[in-house]
Amino acid sequence: MDRWIHPAVFFFIGSLLLPLIKNEKAKKFILLLIPVLGIIDVALMQEGIYGSFSFLNIKLIFGRVDKLSLVFAWVFVIMAFLGALYALHVKEDGHHIAGNFYIGSSLGAIFGGDYITVFIFWEIMAFSSVFLVWFRKEQRSIEAGYRYLLVHVFGGLLFLAGMMLYYYKTGSMAFERILPANAGIAEYLILAGFSLNAAVLPLHAWLPDAYPEATVEGAVFMCAFTTKTAVYVLARGFPGFEVLAILGTAMTVYGVFYAVIENDMRRVLAYHIISQVGYMVAGVGIGTELSVNGACAHAFAHILYKALLFMGAGAVLYMTGTAKLTRLGGLYKYMPLTMIFYIVGAISISGFPLFSGFVSKSMIVAAAHEEGRLILMLLMNLAGIGTFLSVGLKVTYFAFFSKDEAPIKTTEPPKNMLWSMGLTSALCFIIGIYPDSLYVLLPYHVEYRPYTLSHLSEMLQILSFTGLIFFLLVKKLSPEEKLNLDMDYFYRKGGRAFMFVDDMAIAPVDTWWGNIYNTVALKLLFLKAKFAYAFDRIVIDGIVDGTALSVRMAGFLVRKLQTGRVQAYIGFAVFILVVVIWFALRMG
Amino acid sequence: MNVLKYIEALRNNLSALKKVLIVYLIVLVIYDIVIHIGAHGHFFVDNIPGFWTLFGGIGCFILIKVAKGIAHAFLSKDEDFYG
Repeated sequence: MDRWIHPAVFFFIGSLLLPLIKNEKAKKFILLLIPVLGIIDVALMQEGIYGSFSFLNIKLIFGRVDKLSLVFAWVFVIMAFLGALYALHVKEDGHHIAGNFYIGSSLGAIFGGDYITVFIFWEIMAFSSVFLVWFRKEQRSIEAGYRYLLVHVFGGLLFLAGMMLYYYKTGSMAFERILPANAGIAEYLILAGFSLNAAVLPLHAWLPDAYPEATVEGAVFMCAFTTKTAVYVLARGFPGFEVLAILGTAMTVYGVFYAVIENDMRRVLAYHIISQVGYMVAGVGIGTELSVNGACAHAFAHILYKALLFMGAGAVLYMTGTAKLTRLGGLYKYMPLTMIFYIVGAISISGFPLFSGFVSKSMIVAAAHEEGRLILMLLMNLAGIGTFLSVGLKVTYFAFFSKDEAPIKTTEPPKNMLWSMGLTSALCFIIGIYPDSLYVLLPYHVEYRPYTLSHLSEMLQILSFTGLIFFLLVKKLSPEEKLNLDMDYFYRKGGRAFMFVDDMAIAPVDTWWGNIYNTVALKLLFLKAKFAYAFDRIVIDGIVDGTALSVRMAGFLVRKLQTGRVQAYIGFAVFILVVVIWFALRMG
Repeated sequence: MNVLKYIEALRNNLSALKKVLIVYLIVLVIYDIVIHIGAHGHFFVDNIPGFWTLFGGIGCFILIKVAKGIAHAFLSKDEDFYG
């Protein structure tokens, strides 16, 4: 196929058709058709550069199709289908539109060949995904959504600032591999912007803050796209950056540490996204062909099993109304299929032989081993212990067993949820027993065999003896109804401090200024208006008609700027941003 | 439901299951010792038979103790901490 259709087109246009369709069945058909068209499109794609335009002397590339972008595109469209199937029962069109825009913009960022294209889709991702949190319609979700949005706007600004400096330095917006030796402030700002979306420490707190507050179906989408798009851009631009190898490994351990003490099922899983993305970031940071391959393979496998885990936890939340382990237990009698699918996800993430994590995670650990990075390798294996301990054993035990009689009695979730979980489980298993199906998609050609005697022995020992210790210490692991502090403490409490300063110092000044404004400026304005009105009526009388109108408009504009509504401020900030970019580009 | 029957069967035979698992753990360690005969790895840890047994067991123990310890010391707050 020498013609190229951007797969995002299906998701953008398809989702906008939804509100026009009244028939329930037709709507469901469209919802499933969109990702199917996406899959066909990606399957027919040939490598090459497509959709490039010149805009203000900058070359925009919408379709850079190569092995690296294709492996991510594949898993994104597959996940889009599984997610759509899982969310089929959702009635609100807005939810589906937000989800499809989110997927479409992720695909846009993957195929973008220059920083501007990536940046535009990057921002659409943040602004569409936040609705998947807000649609939960609870006070906690609304607040978490605002924090999520503000943090991502901050990350986007880091990216934007880096991008501008990069343009001044090189005169190019092309998004290519950056060598660590050439990296200056511009490159590190871009790296920081990317890292925020990959939840790299210490810019990670938005993830376990927002994902557990998202809707049941929204969380399944969110766990797949934001962090993995970030892994893609890191793998594209920053392989071999030592800082990523170290921070990535730190993430693997940090995530499981919190997962061991958390109570909410979905928060445990959210911390495991940090942990698992840590492997990928470390793989990018180690920077060999094997390790970058490992990062891509792990992203692919991770999207599937993490979505499966979120589907399982979501099904429990959907049916029982809570995801807190302290309130659950004994569910194996009521949701045995959900439990089995959850366990498939759990042993995949833990890296059990025959399941997908075993063939992907081990590539990164093997790369660390090959490069002589003993400490990185040991810490990654330690994180592997924590993964099985918290996702595999703790959650399974306390949600589905632990009590003989379930405190909340329920049934299996709707059929579409079960089908989606079943299909995803099958994919985890197929990748595990036939790893070449995944390896053939990877960007570099590297010979790697996961099923060796020593690797099997290593993983089985680690996992089995973790299991033994778990059953000996299970009482010590009882979940507690507590909130665990994380880095969001600084901006959540920092926000309070800001409000305090605002109340004590800024507000009085504001009031004082407001008084002056009211007494002096407004009076002058009214005076001018009266005068203009009188002048208008008496002197010109209809010849110059717009004066009174323009004064009223000015007053209206001033009022608008003072509403204090967040969307107005964000809109205004975006507007200023566009103006700044435009000027910057014209100057260059 | 069939699935449920199997799960109940396992739960009713916990002591037998325990014995099987203990035998499995022993076999696993013996297997690791066997594959180490005559093998030379990259790091010193690759040359110790049963290293990952100790690593798994001790690592898990330390992880539980440290995580719960730090949580109880200062990380855990009431659920309405942020209001």
